Amino acid sequence: MSGIFGLAWRLLRGGGRRGMLGSALTVVAVAVSTSLLLFAVAANLAFQGRADREAWRNPVAAARDAVAIQAVHLDHVDDRPVTVVDVAALEPGAPAPPGLARFPAPGEVWLSPALADLAKRLPANRLADRLSGKGGGLIGDAALVHPDELVAVRGQAPGSPVMTAGLAVDGHDDIAPTRISGFTGTRTDNAIGYQILALIASVLMVVPLLVFGGAAARLTVARRDQRLAALRLVGATPGQVVAMTVAEAVITAFAGAVLGAALYLLMTPLLTRIEIGGGPWFVADTWPGVLPVLAVLVVVPLLVGLSAVVGLRRVVVSPLGVAKRETPPAMRFVRVVALLAVLAVVPTLGMGAGVGVVTVVLSLAFLAVNLVGPWVVGLLGRIVAASARRPAGLLAGRRMIDDPRAAWRTVSGVALTGFVAGFIGLLTPGTGLLGQADATNLRLAVPPAKAAALSEQARERLATAGVRATVTVKAGGGRGKVLVAALGTSDVAVTDRARTALDGLVPGRSATTAADDDRSGFRILDDVRTGTVTVLAVSFLVAIASAGITAASSILDRRQTYALLHLAGTPMKVLNAARRTETLLPLAVMGGGAIAIGMFCALPFALSTMNVSGLVTLLVCVGLGFAGVAGAGAASAPLLRSVTANPAPRPD
Amino acid sequence: MAMSVVLEGVGLVKRFGPTVALGGVGLALGRGEALAIMGPSGSGKSTLLHCLAGIMKPDAGEVRLLGERIDTLGERRRSELRRTRFGFVFQFGQLLPELPAEENVALPLMLGGLSRGDAVRRAREWFGPLGLGGMEGRRPGELSGGQAQRVAIARALVTGPAVIFADEPTGALDQGTGHDTMNLLVEATKHNGASLVVVTHDLQVARWCDRVVEVRDGQVIPGAAPEMIGATG
Ligand SMILES: Nc1ncnc2c1ncn2[C@@H]1O[C@H](COP(=O)(O)OP(=O)(O)OP(=O)(O)O)[C@@H](O)[C@H]1O
Ligand SMILES: [Mg+2]
Repeated sequence: MSGIFGLAWRLLRGGGRRGMLGSALTVVAVAVSTSLLLFAVAANLAFQGRADREAWRNPVAAARDAVAIQAVHLDHVDDRPVTVVDVAALEPGAPAPPGLARFPAPGEVWLSPALADLAKRLPANRLADRLSGKGGGLIGDAALVHPDELVAVRGQAPGSPVMTAGLAVDGHDDIAPTRISGFTGTRTDNAIGYQILALIASVLMVVPLLVFGGAAARLTVARRDQRLAALRLVGATPGQVVAMTVAEAVITAFAGAVLGAALYLLMTPLLTRIEIGGGPWFVADTWPGVLPVLAVLVVVPLLVGLSAVVGLRRVVVSPLGVAKRETPPAMRFVRVVALLAVLAVVPTLGMGAGVGVVTVVLSLAFLAVNLVGPWVVGLLGRIVAASARRPAGLLAGRRMIDDPRAAWRTVSGVALTGFVAGFIGLLTPGTGLLGQADATNLRLAVPPAKAAALSEQARERLATAGVRATVTVKAGGGRGKVLVAALGTSDVAVTDRARTALDGLVPGRSATTAADDDRSGFRILDDVRTGTVTVLAVSFLVAIASAGITAASSILDRRQTYALLHLAGTPMKVLNAARRTETLLPLAVMGGGAIAIGMFCALPFALSTMNVSGLVTLLVCVGLGFAGVAGAGAASAPLLRSVTANPAPRPD
Repeated sequence: MAMSVVLEGVGLVKRFGPTVALGGVGLALGRGEALAIMGPSGSGKSTLLHCLAGIMKPDAGEVRLLGERIDTLGERRRSELRRTRFGFVFQFGQLLPELPAEENVALPLMLGGLSRGDAVRRAREWFGPLGLGGMEGRRPGELSGGQAQRVAIARALVTGPAVIFADEPTGALDQGTGHDTMNLLVEATKHNGASLVVVTHDLQVARWCDRVVEVRDGQVIPGAAPEMIGATG
């Protein structure tokens, strides 16, 4: 075995400059795939980390042996939500909440770093006055969803009004005092929702990545085809040939994987700045952990090796391999049947379908599109070749018939991104879904019996604070009453002062505007949009990188043909036109098809018909895809010129 | 020489780094003449052919086609010239593997602006006379080496070029097939009124040509008449 590795290594190094260039392309392709794969893994782990760090604030009522009471409500400052957690120890040995050095004593206030910072920067009557109490210290990262999160933990006595008020909860993020046995809590529905979205986004990213990685792997094989066929002719056994190629592919891929991991680490400072769920990320969130990284470093080269074996089958079967070029049998129609079968399942999915089922069906649809690609390219080739009037069309058509897989590889990335774009385009929520909510009236639910007294107090407090407001009492939902302070302005400084004035009027409650209550809804929509843009950006990065790499490698593979065509006086214009046709035509057809299939797959989940922002997203994607592939082709034109510059035809 | 000169190289110099591939070579090719270039390996035969055919620009010297300088032309013009006035036959790999034989032959005509239908019709006319009847639809991978070279000959001649350049065209064939093919090349070239420059190691091949020159260390040594070579060599 070590002999085989040694020979593979020598083949790799002895490939000459062109061979090295080819290997370098593979390394780059694998590196890009690896770094993006790590990104996908890290993203899922990061959302999981967030969910875990948030869980302590989502208490589970203790059946017995409660050691503490916990209540949570949302306050707002500067149009941002502040999570206020009130805790009271029921016994001396109560465990400290995560991120806190000890259990907060009654009257202590612990602040997240971002909140402490904001309290220092804003005038006291906007924020700091609300947080008065003994300074408890800073809340550690372990208790925070993200570095910019605003959180306050207040120590209370078990008998304090905040802890005893059995208030009906109306605000969706408020949690009534709950007796707990520890701060384990449970993941919030919100956090679980984000995890599911992250998983779907990963599937949308990872499948094209794998396809890209596979293309990169076969790229090694394609380059070695000739030489390996020669080795077979010399008498190497199929096993030896396979072992050698796999060894070569694995060595190359491992180099690429290591480079990709380094690339990912370099990217992390940028990644932490992606704002989702109301804020950016901790640096630690972007590190997937030693084991996952090692797993990726092992799995990627193995996958590349595996797909090299698959790509090699043809050479191994016949010693003549590609040395003898015959008309390949047409792609089988089974590929189309496979796609239709997967698509037939899609309408049975719905909101109720499990995440597992959805991800599996999505992945299958993806793979089926990838299977159909070469079949369609072959079909297009036959049509183009039959109808071509000019040499460029004839060359492109014959080439597509001759090697539909190779022609598909160049555009598969972008075409598959069309699937993602179609899927997302239909699901992109429009801004019109949520109206513009009112931000001028602060509302506070009050116990009906005390409504009159509290509204009088509210008037006084606001007057003392110098905030002009009309306070009225309205009927709230059900039996409740709501105190409404009409500020007549949405100036956030005024609103903050009013909030501060009304702070503590009802224990454990904060006044909110309608806009505050809608904020989390808007945030989710924003996040879906951010996620969309991230997924599409990543997919396009992959796709265009793949188009560039395959375009370059297909020139290297066919350098002899190109050199001879050039030598016989074929204008570069014709060669480039043929290359354009054989990429842009399949791209248009399969890209369009993939978009339609993506939309079809999104149908069961679509809340409404396509909206403007979805359409814009889609159109931008189509534009980017075409520009990217055309650009990648144009960028490789100098390479074409350089391989044709050397006039002497050599068998290489 | 009474023949009118079609192609002429004067004082051709070509260096590759320190290697002097051509050290001031002069050569003239008459209309309808078949010229064999012989010489040891690495002596500069291919380089000379490439310079004459406008594939390479010589470092010094001139190349004239029917009295007009072609070595000073830009790449685009030389490319056009190669397509319209010259034909090429190489040792291997000059046919496009994905195109059927007839389309390989028709391609230069289509590049010249002929419609596809006419180009393919004209291309097919070459198959019978070259003993390729029935091979029109086969792809190069499905042809024998000798058949593929005959297709290449058809492709080189189909545009009615002034000069055919052949660099060891039968180098990859066994002697019998090689001689048949070579014979065909010389005959077909003559029949079409084109001149031929052929680089070869084969004395027999050289004998079919009108004239032989020998290249040694980048210099042309005017050879004896071809029928003399076997006797002196
Ligand atoms: N692209 C190149 N770069 C560097 N040196 C070259 C190049 N092409 C040719 N040479 C050198 O120029 C000299 C002449 O080469 P050329 O190919 O003309 O020889 P040849 O007579 O055709 O040989 P053969 O019979 O082996 O084909 C050789 O020494 C060769 O090494
Ligand atoms: Mg030579």
